[in-house]
Amino acid sequence: MTFLLVGFGASIGAFIRNELTLLSQKIKIDFPIITLLINIIGALILGIFTAHVHNGGLLLFLGTGFCGGFTTFGTLNMELSQLWFQRRFFSCFLYFALTYIIGILGFIIGIHI
Amino acid sequence: MQKVKTFLIIFIGAFIGSNLRYGEGLLFKSSNGFPYGTLVANLTGAFILPFLIHYLQDRYHLSSRIILALSTGLLGSYTTFSTFTADTYKLYQSGNWTLLITYLTITIVGGFICALLGNYWAATRAFMDCAGRSKD
Repeated sequence: MTFLLVGFGASIGAFIRNELTLLSQKIKIDFPIITLLINIIGALILGIFTAHVHNGGLLLFLGTGFCGGFTTFGTLNMELSQLWFQRRFFSCFLYFALTYIIGILGFIIGIHI
Repeated sequence: MQKVKTFLIIFIGAFIGSNLRYGEGLLFKSSNGFPYGTLVANLTGAFILPFLIHYLQDRYHLSSRIILALSTGLLGSYTTFSTFTADTYKLYQSGNWTLLITYLTITIVGGFICALLGNYWAATRAFMDCAGRSKD
């Protein structure tokens, strides 16, 4: 039954991620700001869930499922490689640094609030 | 109605992708707590996504629905950033610095290299297809 919890959680997370990505096509910023925000927010709320949810099944649904499906590592690196191939090295480095530093901090903040 | 359709398309992909990741996590469970499952999912996903978008999509004339299911749904849920941050924190708490640095380096550098390789592989295959056609 656990695969249902993971699968349903991830589907909801992925759908919300897609809605936000569609929104980003309307904002004319030439930087992958939406994926950045998605990954930071996802890490933060996983921290909150990890600290406050003690039911194993619910944590699978919210953590492994929802947060896992909401955040993405594939798109992050695809966008990083695009910036690299466009020779926009500063943006590439900035995206790298912001994602990993604020993302990990986000999880830690989530654990403690 | 359109939103329901979009949800169902993503649902199929995300259901499969997330459970592949979950399955790998169970399969590669290690005694020292090193998150092999997340690592394998993230690196393979980072490699396949650019190959899908830059090669398979054109090569097999995949519809936008199939791409939505495979990229946003399947690969988007197969890979994860949030679990990576959780793994990092757990390794930090365990005090095993060697494992922590190893995990961070392989994920951060390896993920980027996998994406670059995925792009190169896509370009190489597209070039080979093109060269093959011009010979005929």
